[in-house]
Amino acid sequence: MVTYGGDEVSALVLDIGTSSVRAGYAGDDSPKAIIPTQYGFIPPSSDQDVDMGDNSDSTEKPKGARSFIGEAGPSLFRPGMQIGNPMSDTLIQDFGPIPALVRHVLQDSMRVNPSEHPILVTEPAWNTPENRERMAEIMFEEFQVPAFYIANTGVLNTFAAGKGSALVVDVGQSVASVIPVVDGFVLRKGVAYSNLPKLVAAHARHILLGNNIDLIPHQLIASKTPVEPNMPPQYAVREDKIPGVTDSWRQWYEDRAVEEWTQNMGGILEQGWNDQLAIQRPARQYEFPTGFNTFFGPDRFHVGELFFFHKPNLVASNSSLPRHIPALISDSLRACDIELRQVLMGNVVVTGGGTLFSGFTDRLHNELVRSFPHVKIHAPGNPVERRYGAWLGGSILASLGTFHQLWISKEEWMEHGKGIVAQRCK
Amino acid sequence: MAASIADVRSALSIPGHVTPNRLQQVKKQPSQSVKKPEGISRELYSLIGPSAPSLAAQLAKPRLKQKPNLGGGGKVKWEWRNFKNGARSDSLELGHWVKASVDPDSEYPFAKYNVQPTNYIWSPDEYARHLEDPEWTQEETEYLFNLVQEYDMRWFVIFDRYEYPRGEKEAGRAIEDLKERYFSVCRKLIRNRTWADENLKTHLQNLMQYDKDREQMRKRYLTSLDNRTPDQLQEEEALFIEIKRLEQNERKFKREREELLRIIAGIEAGLPDIADEDASVSLSLDPKRRKKGMDFEIPATPILTAPVMKKPQSYKNAAHDAQHCIIRNEPSGTTPATKAAHTPSYMRSYKLPVPKAAIAPRVTQILAELGIQHNRLVMPTKDNCALLESLLETTTALVETRKVVDKADYEIKVLKSQLEVRENEDEGDGTASVGEIDDSDVFETQKNGRGESIGSTRSTRNRKLCRRSMSTSSVDTSVTLPVRAVKRQKRA
Repeated sequence: MVTYGGDEVSALVLDIGTSSVRAGYAGDDSPKAIIPTQYGFIPPSSDQDVDMGDNSDSTEKPKGARSFIGEAGPSLFRPGMQIGNPMSDTLIQDFGPIPALVRHVLQDSMRVNPSEHPILVTEPAWNTPENRERMAEIMFEEFQVPAFYIANTGVLNTFAAGKGSALVVDVGQSVASVIPVVDGFVLRKGVAYSNLPKLVAAHARHILLGNNIDLIPHQLIASKTPVEPNMPPQYAVREDKIPGVTDSWRQWYEDRAVEEWTQNMGGILEQGWNDQLAIQRPARQYEFPTGFNTFFGPDRFHVGELFFFHKPNLVASNSSLPRHIPALISDSLRACDIELRQVLMGNVVVTGGGTLFSGFTDRLHNELVRSFPHVKIHAPGNPVERRYGAWLGGSILASLGTFHQLWISKEEWMEHGKGIVAQRCK
Repeated sequence: MAASIADVRSALSIPGHVTPNRLQQVKKQPSQSVKKPEGISRELYSLIGPSAPSLAAQLAKPRLKQKPNLGGGGKVKWEWRNFKNGARSDSLELGHWVKASVDPDSEYPFAKYNVQPTNYIWSPDEYARHLEDPEWTQEETEYLFNLVQEYDMRWFVIFDRYEYPRGEKEAGRAIEDLKERYFSVCRKLIRNRTWADENLKTHLQNLMQYDKDREQMRKRYLTSLDNRTPDQLQEEEALFIEIKRLEQNERKFKREREELLRIIAGIEAGLPDIADEDASVSLSLDPKRRKKGMDFEIPATPILTAPVMKKPQSYKNAAHDAQHCIIRNEPSGTTPATKAAHTPSYMRSYKLPVPKAAIAPRVTQILAELGIQHNRLVMPTKDNCALLESLLETTTALVETRKVVDKADYEIKVLKSQLEVRENEDEGDGTASVGEIDDSDVFETQKNGRGESIGSTRSTRNRKLCRRSMSTSSVDTSVTLPVRAVKRQKRA
């Protein structure tokens, strides 16, 4: 065991993302508990008495609202339930529900006592000092953890790929980022990120709405009958539930429908955009919750193309268009020392659920190899590893024997206060 | 042997060392009986004793193949123990599973990896005396040193995190500026402090060398390499392929030439300069080295000079030669030093002089009379070879001279007979015949002269002959030449 440098102290790893919260033991190869970051809540003004499911969690929100966290939180229909997300652009904007989320994932899903385990939390490269200090405060004050550390997702993704230096291309649910990591440190000047996935989702929604497709979720459908492709759907809506649907829940389920469609249908042409090739690709059938089903041809590839290329008219019409991935990479490299280019391009790590589009890695390679002949891309084939790369890196880091000197202990927290976080977690 | 002696004793009924022998045998018995072979019951073994060992194998019970014991035997006990990390300054106790056999008071095994780099600190006085720099304030220098300490000399990270508030008009510091300041301060501190170990001091100073201009130039080169357009890259690639092709042709040509030389001239030794040229060409044009950008750090000259083969050093020293019995044959200076003029090494006896083909049989005959075989020397030393050579030379001269003498004798005889005929006939027109003789005489004289110059004949008889012929011929010519001239004038 010593030969691998590992020494497990039963640490926990907590990775809070925009779409899901991942938690597990350090030393494992995949997180033990994954719950959505979105949560449902019913404001206190609502006087309806709702029967919660067995597996839903209820904790008191600061406002006194009832909140529903976990797998059965937002996805279960409850009249008047609204959907909230503490994350915005991968940063925690609202710390109110964070303790409840953490408590749910640690105590209710993993069934561990946080006061017995050191905990490693992840943060994006552009996290603010206030945010990480607040996170440390929550961990020490609310969960009484014996030791705490906050590590950068870029660095952790590098470690998950078994490297010390890498250019991490991370496409999440709301942000696509390119992070240069050298010797286990993020080069902050080279960090480049944009809300590209949101643009992709908006485009997908635009395509679906352009085809007059109803994005009604299965929760609101009482019955449906099978129909031929492209025929109008025949379904009955749960009229009793319709009055209880809130705007935020409607937004959530529509987003989810679009996301599902994108995940199933979206693709990327490996050799760059070509109308002929896009038409030649076989069309795929997709059935929506209403029973409506149809075939999608080149539209599928229009969605993925946005990751790599923006049409000039689109750029002209929208000045604040998020940068696509090749632009992010070149921006990031330009900010780095010229000597590092060779190192970084030889170690491109592709991670995040947004990179699971079919053809994403090939296309990226084709784009990069034009300007960097020695480019080498590391993309885990296992989808779990690809989506939870940061968690995996945290799991590796927190189980290393040499890492244990870096923990911020409770004693140090009491002694030095918030300053210790910036001092220790560089 | 001992047994046979005992037998002899018993046969001769000599009482002697019988008793101690018996005692020894008795003593050995119990130790042998301990090794009871398996498969024989104790009773049977006590009956037959150790006399039936060959049966033992057959008597053993058949058994299944033994299972391998991989665990080393026994269970390992693990226990959950709290430990303190020696690399930490606080009292945090974490727990982990360890083997129960590990000493609980032993130091945490990973604490030893917590190595801190040496930090250089200075007193204000020291700073004022040695470290002043118009570009840097003391505060900024301290800030830089703290960063270097914090990030463990990872310069790219240090440069990334370097945020020292400076004046608006001042430009931000480049990574080279930071490095230069750090290393120069370290160098000065090392130089101006007293060191117990001078070697360590020089070693540290060497470690702290930094050439900012060189680094900046290197970076500019890298940038220009990186900024090549695809067209330029393509052209470079094409040129590179062309060079490779040319090089290959050259190599092929050289190989063929070498092959030819080997066949024709029998040169077995290698041709060192061919290999040399190849090495230097391929080194200087290696594209990978160029593209990596590493070669700017490596000075170019040593690479190019290194593979040039050293010519064996010529000790023209006469004393040295004499001491080592070396005799040098100076190569002929007229022939150009080309491959074609290359002479392989040979045995001295292979190059013994050979007499002219026309007179070879006669030379051989003469030497045979003397009892010498000229085409083989028993001991072809240098002196012997020289002697043989001079012998052959003289023999050749002798043979030639004799030939001339014989001819002259014959002429004289002919002339005498002619004279007799003329005297007998008294008066007659003999001009034509005289002229003919004249011509032949001139020829003879010339031949004689040459013979004289070449040969220093030793036999007195030959010399006498020679003199005689000379005198006659000279008389002849002196008489006849004017006559001939008159004759020719008349004819004209």
